Amino acid sequence: MSRFTDLLLALTLCAAGGAGAQADRYPGIGRAATPAEIRAWDIDVRPDFKGLPAGSGSVAKGQVIWDEKCASCHGTFGESNEVFSPLVGGTTAEDIKSGRVKALQEPMARTTLMKVSSISTLWDYINRAMPWNAPKTLAVDEVYAVLAYLLNLGDIVPADFVLSEKTMQQVQDRLPNRNGKVKYDGLWSIRGSADVRNVACMKDCKLESGLASALPDFARGTHGNLADQQRLIGPARGVDTAKAPVSAAKPVSRSMSELATKNNCSACHQLDKKLVGPSYKDIAARYKADDTAESKLVDKVKKGGGGVWGPIPMPPNALKDEDIRALVHWILAGAPE
Amino acid sequence: MADPMKIRANMMGDKVVVKVLMAHEMETGQRKDSAGKTIPAWFIQNVTATHNGKTVLSAQWGPAVSKNPFLEFRFSGGKAGEKVIVTWTDNKGDKRTDEATIA
Repeated sequence: MSRFTDLLLALTLCAAGGAGAQADRYPGIGRAATPAEIRAWDIDVRPDFKGLPAGSGSVAKGQVIWDEKCASCHGTFGESNEVFSPLVGGTTAEDIKSGRVKALQEPMARTTLMKVSSISTLWDYINRAMPWNAPKTLAVDEVYAVLAYLLNLGDIVPADFVLSEKTMQQVQDRLPNRNGKVKYDGLWSIRGSADVRNVACMKDCKLESGLASALPDFARGTHGNLADQQRLIGPARGVDTAKAPVSAAKPVSRSMSELATKNNCSACHQLDKKLVGPSYKDIAARYKADDTAESKLVDKVKKGGGGVWGPIPMPPNALKDEDIRALVHWILAGAPE
Repeated sequence: MADPMKIRANMMGDKVVVKVLMAHEMETGQRKDSAGKTIPAWFIQNVTATHNGKTVLSAQWGPAVSKNPFLEFRFSGGKAGEKVIVTWTDNKGDKRTDEATIA
């Protein structure tokens, strides 16, 4: 019963907010979002295609965009396992008919086209997060084109296909794993008991959170270097337990490392560890004796480059010239703190 | 009949860069199935690429090549609009030929 009243209360609050009471509820704090701001923020596309903007793109056009912006990480055919898991592969004509990917039942690598069960998810993801180093830069028609090319690689649509808001449903009906979604009891079923208990604290609540447990100094190396056991992508990096513990975190020079983060350099480069690209320290070491390094690297950041540090190329980066020069100067100086 | 290859051929400077993705199981003959029986070897043995009737690549492959192999090579003397033809033959005698236009 209480769950039901909570829901009712939440709905009532939503309705009150929607009626325009927001501006008065907190006088002097902020302002209501303008319709244009809400439009810019509200970009999600749902499985029933609510929120999908009108547009269209052909497989042929997607191929051109793919070669330019996607192939360096995902491979020409979406098959590359170099930076991310492959996007294409593992699906058969049989799967397209049944709507359930058979290979998922076997212990083998999984690709995006094997797993995804709603085409809107792919559209939404490409639209909001791709390309990795410049998200949200693709136009609506370009997103359609890239997705059309990707679907063609998976033999879901023919080479002369044009994907648009009208043909999305056709693709959904041919998606290899469209029937692969399951709703497990517990989390989803109304009758089952949920496996989470998110009870809000209402009195005598703890105000501060503290560390519940920590790795004692004598045990630092017991399980090897934790930093090596974390995957390279994402925000969580393990502590480098090969080194002695640092008592106080050293402040890194704010302005330059922040500039690098702001311009998405840190998506691929780190200060002292190889990620997708080389670390700043490695770059400084390689070009130490090279007087022309600064102009060479400025050019490389601007136009992109590859082949020096491995097979994965760096895409061209659209930064201000003075920012690039400042960053390269900082990196060549060993990225000082 | 095996699934078609995906072939892309592009001019890069005065060279043609050809990228091929073949769909093939590439069984080594060393794996066993869940019943403990050896899965017979089944792999691509010969790959040839021709351009204007001239062979530009000829390769002999063995079981060490991965499933669904990716092949990239470049040759000179090609022009945009011409065709590149790639053929593979496997140890069961199965054969597949596909072509792409140089862009």
